[in-house]
Amino acid sequence: MTKPAAGSLAGMLTMTKPSAGSLASRSTWVSTTSVSSSGKRIQREMVELNLDPPPGCCAGPKGDNLYNWVATIIGPPGTPYQGGIYFLDITFPYDYPFQPPKVVFKTRIYHCNVDSAGNVSLEILKDSWSPALTITKVLQALQSIFTKPDPYNPLVPGIAHLYLQDEAKHAELAAEWTLRFAK
Amino acid sequence: MDDNQISLGDEQEEIPDSFICCVCLDLLYKPIVLSCGHVSCFWCVHRSMSSLGQSQCPLCRHEYNHFPTICQMFYFLLLKKYPVAYKRRELQILEEEKRSGCFSPQLDAHGCRSQASQELHIQNNGTAGPKQTHGGDYEGIGNVTDGEKNSLLNTDRGSGDRISVADVICAACKQLSFHPVVLNCGHVYCESCIVKPDEQMHRCNVCQSSHPSGFPKVCLVLGHFLEEQFPKEYALRRDAVRLKQADSRHENPNACATKADTQRKKLSPWSDPVHIRFGCDSCGMFPIIGDRYNCLDCFEKKGFDLCSHCYNTNSKLPGRFNQQHTPEHRFKLVRKDSIRNQLKLVIGDIDDISLALIIASISSEGTISPDAQENAENRSAVHAPSTSSGDEQDESLTSD
Repeated sequence: MTKPAAGSLAGMLTMTKPSAGSLASRSTWVSTTSVSSSGKRIQREMVELNLDPPPGCCAGPKGDNLYNWVATIIGPPGTPYQGGIYFLDITFPYDYPFQPPKVVFKTRIYHCNVDSAGNVSLEILKDSWSPALTITKVLQALQSIFTKPDPYNPLVPGIAHLYLQDEAKHAELAAEWTLRFAK
Repeated sequence: MDDNQISLGDEQEEIPDSFICCVCLDLLYKPIVLSCGHVSCFWCVHRSMSSLGQSQCPLCRHEYNHFPTICQMFYFLLLKKYPVAYKRRELQILEEEKRSGCFSPQLDAHGCRSQASQELHIQNNGTAGPKQTHGGDYEGIGNVTDGEKNSLLNTDRGSGDRISVADVICAACKQLSFHPVVLNCGHVYCESCIVKPDEQMHRCNVCQSSHPSGFPKVCLVLGHFLEEQFPKEYALRRDAVRLKQADSRHENPNACATKADTQRKKLSPWSDPVHIRFGCDSCGMFPIIGDRYNCLDCFEKKGFDLCSHCYNTNSKLPGRFNQQHTPEHRFKLVRKDSIRNQLKLVIGDIDDISLALIIASISSEGTISPDAQENAENRSAVHAPSTSSGDEQDESLTSD
């Protein structure tokens, strides 16, 4: 039982492992990522991000802990989120980059892919995660949902519905929220 | 150590982006070339692999099942070109390996001459495994290079640490690799030296191990590097290859033998047993599909397992993680259920409808095979009693 269950299916299947054979459970191919290697990778990303930050974004560790970051995204011009400053919490798992980082919006936003608790539905932060993706790419992906929400995979179906039905009304509400919460 | 790794620029060596691993963002260490042609470090590939089923290339999401062997040619190229940075990486990785207790295969860098003689010795003996007395001095699987290449390498070694054409020759035509492709065993060929067999597996003519993942794609990183390093020779090779291709299509290059691998049948995780989290230490299949043979005498943390194909054929070499396995070790056959039947055991007692739904959603074949009963018996015979594991599974379900 060295590897934590990845998903529900994974959980079920790993639990079917023989509990009797101590030899069998000891000798698997699964290796755990050392904390030092994930830390090194995060440090490298930090250096890279400081050298060449994507426009409208910045990110960095909150305090001494390398695994807790705070990021800001500026609402892209030409969208109802224009002028808003959005704060996000990024938490890296200890087996980063083999598991995706967790991203939570700290600023409230009227968006069909972000729920009231700040959770984001973004494919690359879930099943489509790849260890070759970096925080820079995650931030760019987040910026892209500002300009182009994905109403077909919504977290808030009501907003998605409005976006599809009446985009002008949606934009008006989003701009109002931006003014109220993000400025 | 931390200062070192942040400031790559402090080192005298400028490392191009193409030699930076996409996973650890550091210099490629013990590079592995996937069949899609993308390169990553040994541990980065291993950790990126899924222990449940198909793994995907981090860069292109190309699916693969087998953990390839380190590409030795690439390893020695990087070692020669960036000795300082490589030493730093070596120390860094070794420290991590000591902490985790699992080691990557040791590639004998400096004593190439001794490596050659050791290999020749092995060849003369005709035995499969390197000698135990070399403790920890294993080169991974299938590195038995032929004498000709060794003599080339040896003559060049004297002239200093510069990379020469002899370091980067194709295993088939013995010339500079043009459009290099790397097989699952880590050996490098020209793309044109590999014959395209239809629906058959390629077999490496150096180590005789088969390449399971379809036709390998050109490793562009390696190709561009060779072109940069030897522009004249590379251009010559390009012309020669073009000429040859135009000349005749009948001529079979004496390359990768196209012998069909008839014994190896197509395995599917849905109908065949899957050994989640266990990998074959010979061909690299991970997870093992089909029967699994577990070594009773290997005491290393990783253990030593073989898939049924590798167990039945020659390969009983040292493991992928430096296990000190010898051909005399005894094996135990471990059978397991297919995912379908495991699911049935897990969910069967809860709800028949949800079971049907789950199976229908993940498997195109909607029926439960009649041999479920038989497999269940196998399973309980080998493993823990199914009742107790069933309880565990229920808990895991509810917690999810």
